[in-house]
Amino acid sequence: MNAATAPRPAPPPGSMSNAAYEQRLRDAVMDAAPVLNSRLLPVSVRSAALNRALAAGLPQLRDDLWRYADLRYLGSAALAPVAPEPAESLQGAILPLLPPRIEGFTRLVYGNGRLQAALSDACDALQPSALPLVPERTRHERFGWLNDAFATDIARLVVAQPLKLEVIFAATPGTTRQAVYPRLELQLAPGTPLVLVERHLGSTGAEGTINAAIQIHAGAGSQVQHLRWQGLATDAQFLDTVQLAVDRDARYALTQLSMGARTARTSLRAALFGAGAQFDLRAVALAAGRRTLDHSLLVDHLGRHTASNQVFRAIARGQAHIACRSRVEIATSAAGASSQQSLKGLLDGAGAEIDLRPQLEIHTDEVRASHGATTGALDPAMQFYLHSRGLDADTARALLEWAFLEDALAGIEPAALRLAAERGAAAALGSAIAGELVEEPR
Amino acid sequence: MTTALLSIRDLHVRVGEREVLRGINLDLPAGQVHAIMGPNGSGKSSLSHVLAGKPGYEVLSGSVTYGGQDLLALAPEQRARAGLFLGFQYPVEIPGVNNAYLLRAALNAARRERGESEIDAFDFLTLVKERMALMKMDESFLSRGVNEGFSGGEKKRNEILQMLVLEPRVAILDETDSGLDIDALKVVATGINTLRSPERAILLVTHYQRLLDHVVPDAVHVLVGGRIVRSGGAELARELEARGYDWLLEAA
Repeated sequence: MNAATAPRPAPPPGSMSNAAYEQRLRDAVMDAAPVLNSRLLPVSVRSAALNRALAAGLPQLRDDLWRYADLRYLGSAALAPVAPEPAESLQGAILPLLPPRIEGFTRLVYGNGRLQAALSDACDALQPSALPLVPERTRHERFGWLNDAFATDIARLVVAQPLKLEVIFAATPGTTRQAVYPRLELQLAPGTPLVLVERHLGSTGAEGTINAAIQIHAGAGSQVQHLRWQGLATDAQFLDTVQLAVDRDARYALTQLSMGARTARTSLRAALFGAGAQFDLRAVALAAGRRTLDHSLLVDHLGRHTASNQVFRAIARGQAHIACRSRVEIATSAAGASSQQSLKGLLDGAGAEIDLRPQLEIHTDEVRASHGATTGALDPAMQFYLHSRGLDADTARALLEWAFLEDALAGIEPAALRLAAERGAAAALGSAIAGELVEEPR
Repeated sequence: MTTALLSIRDLHVRVGEREVLRGINLDLPAGQVHAIMGPNGSGKSSLSHVLAGKPGYEVLSGSVTYGGQDLLALAPEQRARAGLFLGFQYPVEIPGVNNAYLLRAALNAARRERGESEIDAFDFLTLVKERMALMKMDESFLSRGVNEGFSGGEKKRNEILQMLVLEPRVAILDETDSGLDIDALKVVATGINTLRSPERAILLVTHYQRLLDHVVPDAVHVLVGGRIVRSGGAELARELEARGYDWLLEAA
């Protein structure tokens, strides 16, 4: 083979040229203009966001925040949002994706970035004309700017009464040349309890992206139980920016299940800005094949006596790659803060890779902080014990992997969320355990 | 000879560079309890592990026949489903996998193998609770992780409980008596005696004679240096208790 016909090696992550990306962004603006709704987000907000996205460009190879994100596809992926589609065919494509209803929950369904009223319940909290919630973003959240610029619809919610809400963002394979921008803005009134299930389902194919932006402000003394469910098809490319603000004495419990997508990156920041704010994160990531799941989690302790607890559990099979950078910053204003981090990875495949990076930065005295990270393989002694009781290799493996995740899932409240999370994880592990959970909800 | 449920012929086994079993011959007939005794490092646990199929043991030569089939050709889970049970000397803790789940999964694996339907949830609980009462175990145990936070004695009782639920044809109990106080020893012995029946066989691997006061064996074999150097009746165990192993070490 001569040099002229030799295939070029695939570029490493992030090495795509900024010029190409910039051109795609500018093209997207032209394509997007007719389909964007300036009543939801003013043109000034959109153009400011676009300028920031252009200025930020793509993450560079050396950028520690993006080291493990697989962004190669951005060089060829379309970035313009999906144009409006005929409701009937779109809903026909979405319907098979929808999970069974959770009893007592109001459901909102967004298809390819637009509310599907026919599949959704009435919801008083949904207030499209309320003030936009557009958080300050940094380069850590740079793809959130694209969502600000291109979001076609917004699940904009003002919650002042106790609410159990399920928001489903579905993407369908009919949209392969365009991008989907799911967006949720939620303001929770002081003292109000909220149970929120947020699901990302569907597919984009090689030429599309799903770029979600989630921003939630939890008012003083509110209580949030939030289950995030990323169950996209394994050809989906997912960018995910989550910004949470937790006010005085509010308690925010977030469970994130990352089970799908060919490549996914979650950039999450929780700002505990009110005194006594609490944030509890349980994240589970499961990947097989050649898939990549990257997480960059940042918890900012800003108020006094704020508390955070993070549990991250990852299982990588085959040649999958899972990464988690989990950073806690305790500001000078956060005396009396406490923080715990436990990151664990389980490698189940000779080519699998897990990178866990707990980081802690403390700028004040009087804090309690601990962190730990371990990655290993299944314990052969445990496997043999289960084999010796008649369990075959696949069942034993799934059972042990289930057990590995269980300390992230066992404490989820309320029970309906825990059961949903456990079923999802068990199904993703591909075992008979899922059936067992259906029979015996605890 | 032909009635042996488990038949071991000239079994040579290596772990790493070391030959741990050097020509074992043993017949275990249905309806009998045999004890394997021997000093530390004589190969007792290795024999248990090889029979159960633990990875890391290389069979150099010899054969093991179980109910007419080549035991060594079966994967560990196939051996278990065919009715072979190993009671571990050091049962592992498996946090997050609950005891009830494991027991039921194990029982159903064996039932499917026999062409039977899976056990009904109610029948299962009835069976397990009855066996737990025999082992003087609290019902809260069912929802706990497998051996998680159990004392040494609780782990051993749990092994016997699993055996009582699974009702194996051949049970190999690897130093089940070690680390037990006298009350726990009696409970464990009761469990083992409950399982004695004309169609089953039990192999007790032990360092000491004291379990054999409660579970009287039909035969005792002394393992030294990877070989059975002496076989006899229950009285051989008492002789070993009185004289120690030294006189047999010289013979080996």
